[in-house]
Formats: sequence, structure tokens, C-alpha cells
Amino acid sequence: MKNIIIIVFTILAITSCKDDDDVKVGSVNLNFNNSIENTSIIMNNTSYTNKSGETYTISQLKYIISNIVFIKANGEEFKYPTEKSYFLINEEVAESKTIELNTISEGEYTKIRFGIGVDQSKYPLHRTNNFIPTAQENEMLWSWSAGYIFLKFEGGYSVGGQENTDFKIHIGSHGTTLDNYKEVILDLPNTLNIKENATSRVVINADIAKIFDSVNTHSLSIKSDIQVDPENAPKIAENSATMFSAASINE
Amino acid sequence: MELRILVYIISLLFWTSCSSEKEDYVPITENAKLEFTVPANFPEPSYNVTLNPPTEKGFELGKKLFYDGRLASDGVISCGFCHIQDFAFTHHTHIVSHGVNGALGTRNAQPLHNMAFMKEFTWDGAAIHLDLQPIIPITAEVEMNETFTGIIKKLEEQPEYVKLFAEAFEDQKINSDNMLKAISQFMIMMISANTKYDKVERNEGSVFTEQESAGLELFKSKCASCHQGTLFTDQSYRNNGLPIDPEYNDVGRKRVTGLEEDIYKFKVPSLRNIELTFPYMHDGRLKTLEDVLNHYSDGMVDSRTLDPIFKSQNNIKGIPMTTEEKQLIIAFLKTLTDDDFLNDDRFSEF
Repeated sequence: MKNIIIIVFTILAITSCKDDDDVKVGSVNLNFNNSIENTSIIMNNTSYTNKSGETYTISQLKYIISNIVFIKANGEEFKYPTEKSYFLINEEVAESKTIELNTISEGEYTKIRFGIGVDQSKYPLHRTNNFIPTAQENEMLWSWSAGYIFLKFEGGYSVGGQENTDFKIHIGSHGTTLDNYKEVILDLPNTLNIKENATSRVVINADIAKIFDSVNTHSLSIKSDIQVDPENAPKIAENSATMFSAASINE
Repeated sequence: MELRILVYIISLLFWTSCSSEKEDYVPITENAKLEFTVPANFPEPSYNVTLNPPTEKGFELGKKLFYDGRLASDGVISCGFCHIQDFAFTHHTHIVSHGVNGALGTRNAQPLHNMAFMKEFTWDGAAIHLDLQPIIPITAEVEMNETFTGIIKKLEEQPEYVKLFAEAFEDQKINSDNMLKAISQFMIMMISANTKYDKVERNEGSVFTEQESAGLELFKSKCASCHQGTLFTDQSYRNNGLPIDPEYNDVGRKRVTGLEEDIYKFKVPSLRNIELTFPYMHDGRLKTLEDVLNHYSDGMVDSRTLDPIFKSQNNIKGIPMTTEEKQLIIAFLKTLTDDDFLNDDRFSEF
């Protein structure tokens, strides 16, 4: 009799809450470090020079990171739940620059993939609309449309010591005619080993200078106000997709 | 005896295990699915109904939100304020939309019907999905001027909403995704397909008068290339030659795409219930259907993006129509009024 009872209890213990227990998970903090020439950027007071010879200061720098995926050497992917996978990085808010990801399956990962902006092909799936309050509070919704601003980069610039002029770069998708959502895949500098009850830290550098100078060169004298600009917005979006690199991993 | 106690313990284990995440669980009352039926003479819907299947509670919640001033910063301007059922959910006699604190918008509130069949929304297509459309009026300063965070907070304070959200959605949460889904459930059920035109098209025993028949023939040759099919729109964006109003200088579709070629283009509207949705055009500048047809026959202004369809070989702009022809076309357009829809209690505020 007692044996049967013990067996019943054992079975219950093993089977109950099964889905919580059978996959071991760990955590990662992604630290976004917005820098220019390998130095963390300083807002407003520090001037930088782009390849068009224009000096600029930065007053606002925000972007949306989404759809985060960890990739193993054999190509196997761990997709972070899309619903929880929308983040706003705001240079002025220190906490926003650390993305805390929990419940990542244990394993050894060699690459990370993420999106810049919101993938409109996913509407209305995955409850992405729960990101609206965050986007609205951070002024990352176009005021006249139902779309997100993926990248907001503002400041002042001058050429040859002349008077300072404002620049404003707001990149997003233009209805269904132009999709400026970009995904990037980064090689990790060494293997990211996700272990149960452990939190790893991955530092991701964003070389902000590349917004102006990368695959495309953008001169602010030619256009300093880029909002729903079908010619320049896709070039800036392309540039911004090249600015990220995974710098280090701490376990 | 000992066995009985063990049975109790085991039963308790079954009941209590895995319950940690469900502490806030509100027992779900029956939430029946609503039938979403595509009318026999309609195309397939653009809205993917399987991703947000309308339910009794979801619809009830959507309707409550639609008529609730809590969605606006002043607590007064609801969606239903500018979208009044008696006039096919337009803002009767108002040229442009009205918002909080007496603010005026720049465009005429569009009718709401057959939204499940539309691909993009608003006059310029600024919303690419029905679930996203309400973001525009809710956040616009001259409309409802409210934040989603603010609305969610207000709704959380109302026990009725706590209950309705819990009943309507599996995750039971008051959040922006569920809120928008509920409003969509209400809107996709708003199908207007019971006009005289529909009853003739579906052979349900109605017959056009001689005038209406003649009007339909004229409509086919003069209007139907843009106001196509049973929805009476090809859902394209076109410049129909309205003189530019310097007060608004509304660039139309260009605001969404940034493309010069889209300047002054607006979405071809459906003509269903057109008899009641006056005033007409994106800025409500034309008061009557006669005014509209007079614009098309004699009032067009040429510009770079004027739709080529309006230009004849002799470089005459517009659609030639006599006064009698216009009257016949209007007689036909009046067969697109759907009294069943306008009086349908399911969509009424009270």
C-alpha cells in the first residue's frame, strides 16, 4: 500500500508544472553604449565632426530595438518572445540603455540578431501594440499617423564656424510604400554561455557617427530635416543598421 | 482511513499545483463567439478575422470604448462624438472633425462601415491596419489628445472595465493591444450590405426604378472606374482636381509617403450611405451631391498630380454630365442607403 502511495506522489512531483521545469533558462543584460570614436557620447556640450566637415552636437538620440534572437553555432535560434521584445533606447535615460532579458534557453550562442524599429509585416501579431504607451511617452509615434519613429536623432550643426542650425532626423516606415525596418546580425566576440540562474552581460556598441557616414554619406547642409523623406530616410536607415557591434561579454 | 486522507491530499495537490501565476484570475463567464458573415456580394475581408475573432464580450467592450469620453483628455470627446450612427457614423453637417476644447481638425470625419474590407485607413492611408487606426484620433492634439497610458489608468479604475477586459480576453489584461482589438471587433461587425442596391445585386426581390436603372448605367460609365465594385472604391489615392484650400494646404497622401507624386491625392471613398454622409470631400467643402457632381463636371483644377482619368484628349478636365444625367446618378446613389445599418441597435450608443 505505502509503496503505491509513494509512487503516486513521485509521479505527481515529476509531472506537475512540467512546462515550467523542463527547459532551463538564464538571463542576459544587453548594454547599449552609444559612442563616437570609441568614447561614450556626451549630449549637447560636445561637438563631433562628420565626414562632410560639419560639426554637430546631439540633443536627442532614441531608437527602438525589437525582435531579439540568439543564434547558436549550428544555426539554431532562440527567439525572445516577440511580445516582450520591444525596447526604447534613450541616450538621456541610463536605465533604458540596459535591456534585461530573462527566460533565455540554456545554451552556447555565437550571434545575436535584432531589429531597429517595428516590423510592420508583423502587425497585428504578437501584441506589439502593447508597446504603444512606451512609444507615445517617448514621442516615438508620428503625430499624424499610426506609425512608429524608429530612430530619432536631433541636434545642431554648423559648417566652417558659421551659425548653428538645428538638424532633425526621424526615421520610420512610410505607410506601406516604404519599409525602413532593419535587422542586424552581430557576431559575439566570444561564446555567450547561458546558464540557469546566471545573468550574462553583453555590451553592444552603437557607433553614432555612422548615422551620417557609413554605406551612405549624408551631409546636413544638403538636408537637415529628414522626416518621411523617401530619398534620404532609407539611406539613414541603411547607415544605422551598420552602427552596432558586440563589444564584450561578461558572465 | 489513512487512504482517505491521502486521497484528499492528492486531490489538494492537483488543485493547488501550478496556481502561482493565476492569483488575479477572474473566473470567465461564457463569452460566445460572434458570427462574422461576409455578404454574398462582398469580396473577402482584408482584416484577418481569425487573429481577432469577435466575441460577445469583446464587441461589448469595443462598443463601450467607442462611446466613452475617457478615451479623450477632456473626458467628453468619444469616437462616437464625430462618428454618429444616424449619418453612417459621420459628423453630421460638420465640415471638419471637432476635438477637445473646441479644437478643429483639418479633415472631414469619414463614415465607418465595412471596415473589415478596407486595406488602409484615413483619407491618406496613415494607418495600415484597422487595429492601428484609433491611435490617430486618440493621440492627435486636435482630436482626443490623450495618452494610452492615461486611458489605461482611467479604465483600470472602473470595475466594469476590469470585468469586461477579463471576460473578453484570455490574458484578462487592460492594455493597449486588447483595447485596440476590442474596438476593431466592434468595427468589423459594422457591415452595411442591406441597401436596395444589394438586394437587387443579390436577387432578393428588389427592383430598381427606371430612373435608378438609368442612373446605374451612367454611374458605370462615368464613376465606376474609381468607385469600383460592390464597395464602391478601388481603395486607391487620387487627385480629383479640387482647388487647393490655402487655409489647410493639405498635401494628402504625400504626408504618408513623402513622395512628390502623391501630393494632393486622397483615398477614393466608398459611396455606400453617401446620401447621409454630407458634407463631402476630404475637407467637407461640398454640401450636397449636386455640388459634388458639379465639381466633377465643371469645377476641376489642373495640377501636376491631377488623375489622368479626368483628362480627355482635347485637354478638357472633368467628367461631362448634363443636369438630367446628374439627377439620375443621384437617384442611383440613393439606393446605397442602408436603413437597417443606420438603425441597427447593436451599434447604437443607447
